[in-house]
Amino acid sequence: MLDPQTIKQWKRFKSIKRGYWSFVILMVLLGLSLVAELFVNSRALIVSFEGKWHFPTYAGVIPGETFGLDYDYETNYRELKQQFKDANEGNWVLMPLVPYNAFENDLRTDRFPPYPPSLETQHYLGTDSTGRDIVARLMYGFRIAMGFALVLLVCSYAAGILVGCAMGYWGGAFDLLFQRLIEIWNTIPFLYVIMIVASVVVPSFWTLVTVMVIFGWTAMTWNMRTSTYKEKAREYVDAARALGAGHSRVIGVHILPNTISVIVTFIPFSIASGVASLTALDFLGFGLPPPTPSWGELLSQGTNNLESGWIVGSVVLAIVAVLLMVTYIGEAIREAFDPKKFTYYE
Amino acid sequence: MTTYFIRRFLLIIPTFIGVTILVFTLTRLVPGGPIERMLNEAAMAGAEGTTSMSTDYAGRGGSTLSDEQMQVLREYYGFDKPIIVSYGEWLSRVVVLDLGTSTRYTEPVWDIIRSRLPISIFYGVTTLILTYGICIPLGIVKAIKHKTVFDNVSSALVFLGYAIPNYVVGIGLLTVFAANLEWFPLSGFVSDDFEQRSTLGKVADIFHHATLPLIAYVAGSFAFTTMLMKNSLMDNLAADYVRTAIAKGLHFRSAIFRHALRNSLIPIATSFGNNLSLIITGSFLIEKIFNIDGFGLLGFESLVERDYPVVMGILVISSLLFVIGNILSDICVAVVDPRVKFGADGSNQ
Repeated sequence: MLDPQTIKQWKRFKSIKRGYWSFVILMVLLGLSLVAELFVNSRALIVSFEGKWHFPTYAGVIPGETFGLDYDYETNYRELKQQFKDANEGNWVLMPLVPYNAFENDLRTDRFPPYPPSLETQHYLGTDSTGRDIVARLMYGFRIAMGFALVLLVCSYAAGILVGCAMGYWGGAFDLLFQRLIEIWNTIPFLYVIMIVASVVVPSFWTLVTVMVIFGWTAMTWNMRTSTYKEKAREYVDAARALGAGHSRVIGVHILPNTISVIVTFIPFSIASGVASLTALDFLGFGLPPPTPSWGELLSQGTNNLESGWIVGSVVLAIVAVLLMVTYIGEAIREAFDPKKFTYYE
Repeated sequence: MTTYFIRRFLLIIPTFIGVTILVFTLTRLVPGGPIERMLNEAAMAGAEGTTSMSTDYAGRGGSTLSDEQMQVLREYYGFDKPIIVSYGEWLSRVVVLDLGTSTRYTEPVWDIIRSRLPISIFYGVTTLILTYGICIPLGIVKAIKHKTVFDNVSSALVFLGYAIPNYVVGIGLLTVFAANLEWFPLSGFVSDDFEQRSTLGKVADIFHHATLPLIAYVAGSFAFTTMLMKNSLMDNLAADYVRTAIAKGLHFRSAIFRHALRNSLIPIATSFGNNLSLIITGSFLIEKIFNIDGFGLLGFESLVERDYPVVMGILVISSLLFVIGNILSDICVAVVDPRVKFGADGSNQ
């Protein structure tokens, strides 16, 4: 994989600061979101009770009785922390940075949610209209959205590369048939179809991915068709065929590696559109079912509670930041794979 | 080349049939159609409190309607025939421009669609004018001032518009300028007292309502066209014929406007036809956010309400516009660039 060309492209990518740092930050964010339970969680990181340490984060439910409380359902670690502090018997609780998970409604008796941001209650970005912590919703929503976009990317690219290569390589009737099919497919307003489907079955993560792949494979197919078509006309393909290479070998070993730059260049833009379409669907209420943490759902809450500006503010800023970084990465990758050196007049 | 375009126009027919038959079948296979919706409403009205929010099947509505009545209803909506037969009936009516009757408003679909068109066309045309009016000059200036402060700053803005989906831009604008600063109204196309205003007041009122949605619309298409303009002008400026022109003593300014600009407008023409479908269909997300009663919102609402005749009517119009728009783009390219020969090989689609 690491031929000189790849190294050169990577160096060029690194030299584009905006894109490179966006890449670093986004990767760190993605890494953090994978272990989000350690930062944003209602379960404690460490509980020290009577000299014994407990690590509840990834373990099963630890009932309150374990810590000498009078209930057998899951321990409320925030209360436990306060109790230990008041009792002052050497027991202690270490809570994550944001001591809430994405699903619990932190309701108060004195007034109704949404609550504004507050350091005291540790709702750093406030809560939504049912009292759920916004940082937690954003963090877990980010993880789901990115996961969704990545799975979608892999599936639709797999289909696109397969069909597109075949269309470009064999051409003829197969090509014509799929050209018509793609034209029909592109003309269908696919958000409509998703809405029809979503209004019947409550969509799960995988049904949404399936529907989106069924309607999203055409873009990559078209690109792959064009570039395979171009590559096939070149002499190295003829040479490989003359040496006795079979079709699958010519496609897999010779043509595909030469079209990789097309594929890689499109990845960031596909991720951005994956995140954006999931958010749009959630915003309309046709996406993942509640109470799944999602940016789109926060957006629609925000637009319904415009006077609680922290909801719409934080989610819009989050979307802007993430999509902007993804776009910067995309631009840098494009530049790294296909550097355009203009001559221009001063 | 004429034969090429004739072929393209003839190919609209299979595409159109393919698209409509797919969506038609889908609307049929999905439970919870107009009959079920009506039964639900009747049940809700009859017994307030018995909430039947779930998608009731026709059989369960038997308590309020006899089987015979159900049969009459099914015949009325054409649900008693096989899909392919009723699709054929639907298609034969579309051919004579009859889109059927809305199950929600019991009005002809075409009348409903026509009543929404002026609003959508207003937004579409204004967006189109603004987009090209801003993007082409901006792209030219950016190309000339490549790598200056102006170029970098405007690039950052253009990127922002490119990266963010236009409905998010809309929500952001709505929050800041309508909800908090209260500079612009929150939603709608005109004020309630629109009729009482003077002509000038009416125009002012429309644009007062339209400012935020228009910005959201333009933000989306803005980036693409600007960068396309910039890049293609830079390509042309780097070309030999411009160098020759300048070497022969031509002013830089006239080298751009007389030689390079014309050629660099060609890529812009390739996407011009697609505006045809954008003008009318717009973005229903923006229409939903700003509560604009346009074509997109109509489509969205009729989908939610299972008003399938309207859904199909909108599909007919939008798919035709989309396909014709694509062909129009190709015609534009052929007109602007005499070098382009369509139909010479099969790869030009």
